Amino acid sequence: MIQVINLSKSFKDGVDVLKNVSIDFKEGELVIIKGKSGSGKSTLLSLLAGLSKPTSGEVIVDSKHISKLPDHFSSAYRRDNIGIIFQKYNLIPDISVKENILLPLVPLNLSLGEINNKALNVMKLFHIEHKANELVKNLSGGEQQRTAIARANVANPKIILADEPTANLDEKLSLSFIEMLKQMKSERKTIIVATHDPLFFDLDFVDRVIDFDS
Amino acid sequence: MNIQLLEYALKYLQRNFFKNIFIFVVLTLMTWLLASMFFITNSMKYELNLTLDTLPDIILQHKKGGISSTIDESISMQILEIPGVESSQPRVWGYYYFEKAEVYFSILGIDEFEKQNRQTLLNIVDTQNIESNSMIVGQGVAKILEQNYYKEYFNFIKEDGSVMKVYIGGTFKSQTLLESNDMIVMDKNSVRDLFGYASGEATDIAIKVTNKLEVPTVALKITQNYPNLRVLTNEDIRVSYENIFNYKNGLFLALFVSSIFTFFIIVYDRLSGMSSAQKREIGILKAIGWRVEDVLKAKLYESLIISIFAYLLGIFLAFSFVYLLNAPLLKDIFIGYSQMKPAFELAFLVDFQTLFLLFFLSVPIYVIATIIPSWKVATLDADEVMR
Repeated sequence: MIQVINLSKSFKDGVDVLKNVSIDFKEGELVIIKGKSGSGKSTLLSLLAGLSKPTSGEVIVDSKHISKLPDHFSSAYRRDNIGIIFQKYNLIPDISVKENILLPLVPLNLSLGEINNKALNVMKLFHIEHKANELVKNLSGGEQQRTAIARANVANPKIILADEPTANLDEKLSLSFIEMLKQMKSERKTIIVATHDPLFFDLDFVDRVIDFDS
Repeated sequence: MNIQLLEYALKYLQRNFFKNIFIFVVLTLMTWLLASMFFITNSMKYELNLTLDTLPDIILQHKKGGISSTIDESISMQILEIPGVESSQPRVWGYYYFEKAEVYFSILGIDEFEKQNRQTLLNIVDTQNIESNSMIVGQGVAKILEQNYYKEYFNFIKEDGSVMKVYIGGTFKSQTLLESNDMIVMDKNSVRDLFGYASGEATDIAIKVTNKLEVPTVALKITQNYPNLRVLTNEDIRVSYENIFNYKNGLFLALFVSSIFTFFIIVYDRLSGMSSAQKREIGILKAIGWRVEDVLKAKLYESLIISIFAYLLGIFLAFSFVYLLNAPLLKDIFIGYSQMKPAFELAFLVDFQTLFLLFFLSVPIYVIATIIPSWKVATLDADEVMR
């Protein structure tokens, strides 16, 4: 489903973050990418999402050359295919949980009923419906994360990318996230998690663990 | 229209309430000030043009010691012999200071209905019956007299200090308000009596020329034949009016420039960049699948909501200020001499050119100033913007 071919990324200061990386991700697969800070995990996710362009190499998703898409199409590709859970959640703090979750649907110009249904479904699925009208800045870390997960799932994407999803959570909340991950996998989504949290490495429903340190 | 996107734009404005309300207030005030100035000058130009159209082609004055003096009426008969002159009419008029109200009235004497003034007068007076001991007054004069309990007549103080009682026969219609507002028209002999002019003397002579293209030629002939007289053509008077008006326009320009300057400070602030929170928000929107055009559409809605509402409110306030409240303070900048004349109402005019000009001076510039920085950020890699 996702082919990463000889992918390299260098930053402007000359640092090579990724060098000739090649990986295949199958549909419905849950893959954990582990590695230390600076090993290039987050950069790989960014390239898979089309948030930045590689220095060389290619990302192909369902035969589409994502890394070569112009900005207009890479945004549309993300909107239709990808849900991203960021390490710092990247929510808009001064709007409500529901409004944050609805944001990916805004450009689609759906009916109000449809948009509300979708929001309600994901809020129920990730247990955040009781905070629907709360401003994000007033939420706890765990609630913010559930909001971010709900937002990543609201457009029902087939690929979920999670960057250090438990970095800001305690163990209890991290275990709760792992439950949600299981739920997403049961929906046949392709999930790629970049993390250095050992909690993920021995999970029985994880298909593969790729070690970026080696 | 994408309602959700519009809702997002409204929410964004609400989230940055104080900053946006400040911009809204400044834009509204700027539109109000400029629109008020345009409305006042348009109304005044309209009034002046109406007045200028009724002026005689040539006016003859007699000067003594460099000051206008009375002119011998009999000269008007000699002027009639000049080829091209259609009519020549001695006029008797002057200014009367009403001390109690601290205003000047312009008083014009007419021979029953002089040919020179008849057509004009019949068009602008609400009565066609002038008795010899009555007068027609401008609406401003009528108002001032009424305020001072002169509802049916007025007691003038004559040049020799005695009292002269004149009845109010009617008022001028609202057209030509600016010039007729302070005017009183009465019988020519009554005016002579009031101002102490001798019989056979006039203030000036009004001349009408059959072919308007011949006015300079006729004026030249009069100058050659009567070197002691001052010859003023309609064009001279128009230029002198325009000079006064252009001087007022200079003040207008000063206000205009300061308003525009304020506006461009806002525009510069918008163009010079966005806060890191604003940039980050655009990055987040891009990361979750918004295209550049979606971001720009949201910014377009935001800027249109602010600028169009500010424009509409500014225009509404200007209309109310100028035509309902009669532009207090601001009007005095343009008609400073009104302190010596009765106040007049500004004629209501809707000039679409002015409305369009103000629209294009405010709305598109503000919209562009909002969209350009957003576009700059939205075209960067989302990853880079969020970092």
